[in-house]
Amino acid sequence: MSLVMILLAPLLGGLVYGAERVLRARMQRRQGPPLLQPFYDMFKLMDKRTLIIHAPHALLAVAHFLLLWLAVGALFAGWNLLYIVFLHLFALIVLVLAGYSVRSPYSQVGANRELAALAAYEPILVLLAVGFYLVAGSFDVSAILAHGGYLAQMPLLFAALLIILPIKLKKSPFDTVEAHQEIVGGVEVEYSGLFYEFLYMARFLEYLFVYGLVFLFAGASPLWGLLLVLAVFLLVNLVDNATARVRTDQMVKIIYATAFTMATANIIWISL
Amino acid sequence: MLFFLLFSPIAAALLLFALPSLRARYAVAALLFGLLSATALSLFFQPAATALGIAPGIGTLIEAADVVLLFYFLFQGVKHRSVPVLLLALLQLPLYLWAVAVTPAAASPALVVDDLARFMFLIINIVGGAIVLYAVEYMRREKSGEGKQRLFVAYLMLFLSVMNAIVIADAILLFFFLFEMTTLASYLLIAFRGDGVSRRNALRALWMNQVGGVFLLLGALVAAYGPGSATFSGLLQGDGGVLLLALALLAMAAPVKGASLPFDGWLLGAMVAPTPVSAILHSATMVKIAPFLILKLAPGLDGTLPGTLLALFGALVFVAASYLALSRSLLKEILGYSTVALLGLMMSLAAVGTPESMQLAMALMLFHALSKALLFLAAGVLEKDFGLKDVEQMKGLVQRAPRSVSFLLFGFFSLTLPPFGLFMGKLFAIASVASLLPSQPWLVIVVTGIAVGSALLVMLYFKIAAALLATAPDTVPVQREIMPPGFMTPLALLTLLSLAAAGGYMVQQHNSLLWLLALPVLIMALLPLLTRSLQRFDRVMPYRCGEKSEFDGALFYVEPSAAAARSLQWGFGLLFAAVALSGAVT
Repeated sequence: MSLVMILLAPLLGGLVYGAERVLRARMQRRQGPPLLQPFYDMFKLMDKRTLIIHAPHALLAVAHFLLLWLAVGALFAGWNLLYIVFLHLFALIVLVLAGYSVRSPYSQVGANRELAALAAYEPILVLLAVGFYLVAGSFDVSAILAHGGYLAQMPLLFAALLIILPIKLKKSPFDTVEAHQEIVGGVEVEYSGLFYEFLYMARFLEYLFVYGLVFLFAGASPLWGLLLVLAVFLLVNLVDNATARVRTDQMVKIIYATAFTMATANIIWISL
Repeated sequence: MLFFLLFSPIAAALLLFALPSLRARYAVAALLFGLLSATALSLFFQPAATALGIAPGIGTLIEAADVVLLFYFLFQGVKHRSVPVLLLALLQLPLYLWAVAVTPAAASPALVVDDLARFMFLIINIVGGAIVLYAVEYMRREKSGEGKQRLFVAYLMLFLSVMNAIVIADAILLFFFLFEMTTLASYLLIAFRGDGVSRRNALRALWMNQVGGVFLLLGALVAAYGPGSATFSGLLQGDGGVLLLALALLAMAAPVKGASLPFDGWLLGAMVAPTPVSAILHSATMVKIAPFLILKLAPGLDGTLPGTLLALFGALVFVAASYLALSRSLLKEILGYSTVALLGLMMSLAAVGTPESMQLAMALMLFHALSKALLFLAAGVLEKDFGLKDVEQMKGLVQRAPRSVSFLLFGFFSLTLPPFGLFMGKLFAIASVASLLPSQPWLVIVVTGIAVGSALLVMLYFKIAAALLATAPDTVPVQREIMPPGFMTPLALLTLLSLAAAGGYMVQQHNSLLWLLALPVLIMALLPLLTRSLQRFDRVMPYRCGEKSEFDGALFYVEPSAAAARSLQWGFGLLFAAVALSGAVT
């Protein structure tokens, strides 16, 4: 079962992404695209002529996609959560390398911002893993899922995860990394055709990754997990529609002032 | 074999002066490297007889040498009009004589070779030996007389002897003497180029390290009056309230040698010295005394208030120094700050004091020594062959200097990526410290410290790696560098050693997770195979919104305001003082 899930992960993520576009359109009272639009986009991209700057740049996009798939796969397969978090970090680092590897100002500014965002949310993901470990007694995702719910013991960690979700999903108020109006897509700007498709699919996997983390909070009960994911899904999109973008430095400060503090406080609370 | 480790570097240094030709210098350095590594390895795998006494005559000789050394510091203070050096030397002299007078005659042996010492032999001799080998080629390119070049290499060799001795010194006053010898070595080597800046920075290194010496002497005095012990082993077997103060005072010498904040100034200043100095003093071997000392004292500090404070101090240094490194653009300074940071982490793990965390600290020491030596040496090549020091000027350097940059990149990867020990160390450290949280909630600072510090360091290393890789889309073919064998050999050796150490570590751990961790690196390693198949795609120039001229974004920097930096220094100073206070109180 989990193997099938892992293999189908990009498709699954695509559906989540499509659903989100429908939802956002409804929130803005637009007709919006159909559910399968992400897949139509993929076929469209495959038809386009692929232009590349140089080989390493193109290959790093492939690496980013593969590593992210590995991280999501490890999450589905129930491996060590701490390892998954570091693997995810590695995947993102590859993307940053790609952003810097071309001498394009937009791409490099995007990579700078990606790094700053990374420094903001990475510690919180680690603390999240530590929190699960303290409650469930193991870092293994399978053991974490076998244990009961976590919301009662880790409410602040859950809130911290909610705060950093917009960064990962590239949503307001924390979508500075790819801000189209300022840096025309940042790290993604130099990609086209086939290689842009890898980045596009990587985004689907990112969706699965973060909503997978949300799912963990329900523990042993999959139904509650799905409800939790649905609620967070609605909330994130609501916030996205209701807020404006903040600057990157403001984002880092906000994350450290709120999410990081809450996460640390929650860890202390559990261990007392 | 022990005597070989202690005296062969001295013999090699003398031989260096006897043999005038350059080729002979290479031969001596290579021979020394080979013999020292072989000896250190065989000692590590076949533990030999352990404890040794020192004959009274030699003991007196060492005491006399120490007094001479302190007078030399005093003289340097007067000569260069440095008030702190002068005052600290004036403080140390009576303290030392007092300590000698009250120290009980040693009942236990003065030299003890334990497992920790054997482990340190590996780092000192293998990494140190490789650096000495590199120094011969580096100094050949230095604009100074041949005598001075030989003197420099000889200093480095003598320094290896001192380091080999300090890790087996069990008598506290002998440890103090050798500690001061390393201080002397850093002073002489930093001042080597003899210009104003070098002299100023050397004096700063001198007085800051003297502070560490003062703490050692105070610790020796308290140990003599309290538990009545003159050796580390005797001290660790005793107990009682004053004992803890002695241990705390001795341990405080560690952050000073490790250039932890607020003593980071001396290590940064040391960057004016020739690169092999930076490598040997500040990354590979000398600063490793810091975690070494804490590891040595850990059995006594474990679970006490000073031990706790040291663990917190180290974790905070890890974060603060990683953060400060983000504000620098000179490659050597960045490497220096990241060394300070990682030493903080090692000291923190050593002070946590569980067998697991101590082992992690040791693993970090080994891998850090290999990686940092490699990085510093590669940075030295860039400096000598390309005249580049600033990271901003190194953009796209991979096209011009593929070899040096490959070594640099390998160094960065070995500091951050899975199959290498530093990554494992950080990963396991989080798991290990997290398992202690229910019994010691204050460790949450260490856990968050590791989480934040690692994120910052990853950011730092990849920022530089990214700058090196930022290649132009289609440039005219560039002149590729040819690296001389004198540089190539030590760098390649260190690379192979890192790989071997990583492999050995994985085999030794019996942890299936480790092999899974190697998977992503395998994916990355296979990707270049696809390069050829990309030929069929068309190439374009990057998008610049229609601008014709080429322009780059600057790298990512963050810097604390002047006021914040000042309060950071004061905060760490207070925390540092709190270690001694807590020792006195409990």
